[in-house]
Amino acid sequence: MRPGAGAVAGVVVVVAALSGGLVAPHDPAAVVGTPFSVPGGAFPLGTDGLGRDVLSRVLAGGARLVLLALAGGAAATAAGVVVGLLAGWVGGVTDRLLTAALDLLAALPLLLVALVLAVAVPGGAAVVVAAVAGGAPLTARVVRDAASRFRGSGWVEAARGRGESTGAVLVRELAPALGPLVAADAALRFVLGLQLACTVALLGFGPQPPSPDWALMLRENLPGAALNPAGVAAPAAALVLLACGVAWSALSRRGVAG
Amino acid sequence: MTSAPPLRAGVAVLARAGATAVLLSVVVFAAVEVLPGDAAAARTGGRADAARLARLREATGLDDPLWQRWLSWAAGLLRGDWGTSLLTDRPVADLVLPRLAATAVLTGAALLVAVPLVLALAWLVGTARPGRSRVGGAVLTALAAVPQAVVVAVLVLVLAGLLRWLPAVSLLPPGVPPLRRPEVLVLPALALALPSAAWGGALLAGVVADACAAPHVRDARVRGMPPWRVHRDHVAPFVLAPAVRVLAAVAAGAVSSAALVETVFGYRGLGELLVGAVAGRDAPVVAVTGLLGGLVVVVGAAVADLVALAVTR
Repeated sequence: MRPGAGAVAGVVVVVAALSGGLVAPHDPAAVVGTPFSVPGGAFPLGTDGLGRDVLSRVLAGGARLVLLALAGGAAATAAGVVVGLLAGWVGGVTDRLLTAALDLLAALPLLLVALVLAVAVPGGAAVVVAAVAGGAPLTARVVRDAASRFRGSGWVEAARGRGESTGAVLVRELAPALGPLVAADAALRFVLGLQLACTVALLGFGPQPPSPDWALMLRENLPGAALNPAGVAAPAAALVLLACGVAWSALSRRGVAG
Repeated sequence: MTSAPPLRAGVAVLARAGATAVLLSVVVFAAVEVLPGDAAAARTGGRADAARLARLREATGLDDPLWQRWLSWAAGLLRGDWGTSLLTDRPVADLVLPRLAATAVLTGAALLVAVPLVLALAWLVGTARPGRSRVGGAVLTALAAVPQAVVVAVLVLVLAGLLRWLPAVSLLPPGVPPLRRPEVLVLPALALALPSAAWGGALLAGVVADACAAPHVRDARVRGMPPWRVHRDHVAPFVLAPAVRVLAAVAAGAVSSAALVETVFGYRGLGELLVGAVAGRDAPVVAVTGLLGGLVVVVGAAVADLVALAVTR
């Protein structure tokens, strides 16, 4: 795959998932036909167990998952970059303490933590907290290693020798070097957030029926899968496209970063 | 870690595992304690008046300060007193222990599939020609990115719904051990094994590729050593330690994901108990099941780290 093509594919899939609800032909929550109609006629993907339009529900059912994954991924990346820079750039005792704390967080079983948190706070908040707890340590490790490597490099020493401030060195010298690395990493954090959001939603701790949601649709439509397989296949395909598109964008970016 | 003396590194592994276990217990207990609407209200179904709720809260210790309840709970846990379910009044141990065996059987079955699959995928992708290896790695990474919910749904759709080879639910009559009905284990075990096998395979493939590119491996090939001996004597020893860690992570993933898979299949294991207890806000059951599952993961990772230390070249 051409470098960058993966990133474009990832962005296209995310935008499609976010805006799909705008072009839904029917109200995703409304009963519009007979239950479990096979695809055809007014319903290109058939209807679900209550007679709701599967196509409309698929088009509208991705936005919340994508927003949650974006929130979790962005928060995990931001926290990881800050902590990683601090550890890698400052070094010494700060580095050792932060690394030890991150190791502890990374050792927590994410999904169990997310589930247990889902009683205390709304499912979406549990997903974001768990995505940060599980994802930030991984990002921080990558950023820390890169930052401590760059700190001793010739071009950073040269910038310092020119008398540039720490802030200027971080923004002008380090940020461009770390950028591709962090972008690839952020895509993986997005995928982690998406996986958590799907599990929490499918278990019933996310959106409640009749809201359309890809993960919830998988469970709702599974009992009628023999009557209208599209009810399961369509949200499954949408999730695969989203997860793989974003994961591939991380791979191709990493190729550029070397 | 490899540069530290083995004993010190081993002590560090144990200390980290202990600290993680404490952190886990704090997270689990704090989470079930701050939930809105406490168990006294949940248990009476919202029909009790304020006085009765207050009496019930006092009787169950729901009014003590948070840290005190955590401390007495942790101390009781170590003494073997796991408390009683707020919803059913049954001892938590009675609820948890049979589920523990069921989950152990299911995750064991999943690992029977996942472990050979991880190793086979890692060698297949890691030793392929560069172009193919890249494609294989990308495919595995993409598969690992697919949410587990999708894997479960597609497996049920194809193997149970369309082909009708296997039951779509894994409900067992009370008292029937899962091993007596092995067919109910197949779909949930596959659902647990496949995503983590793809993830582990992608991770380990890189290690295998690196080990194969080492100078002494190329050297042995040039000397004309048969390929299987090259892999056994020169590649495998270097892959062993990372493989132990990856396989432990795969097992940890299976234990965590049991909550999702057991719930979808109606398999009465620890994960399904946890999900039900979370929905019912049954704090003692949530705390014990969450902590138990988490401890299995933490202890497994520590054991893997110790084994990896012992076999590191």
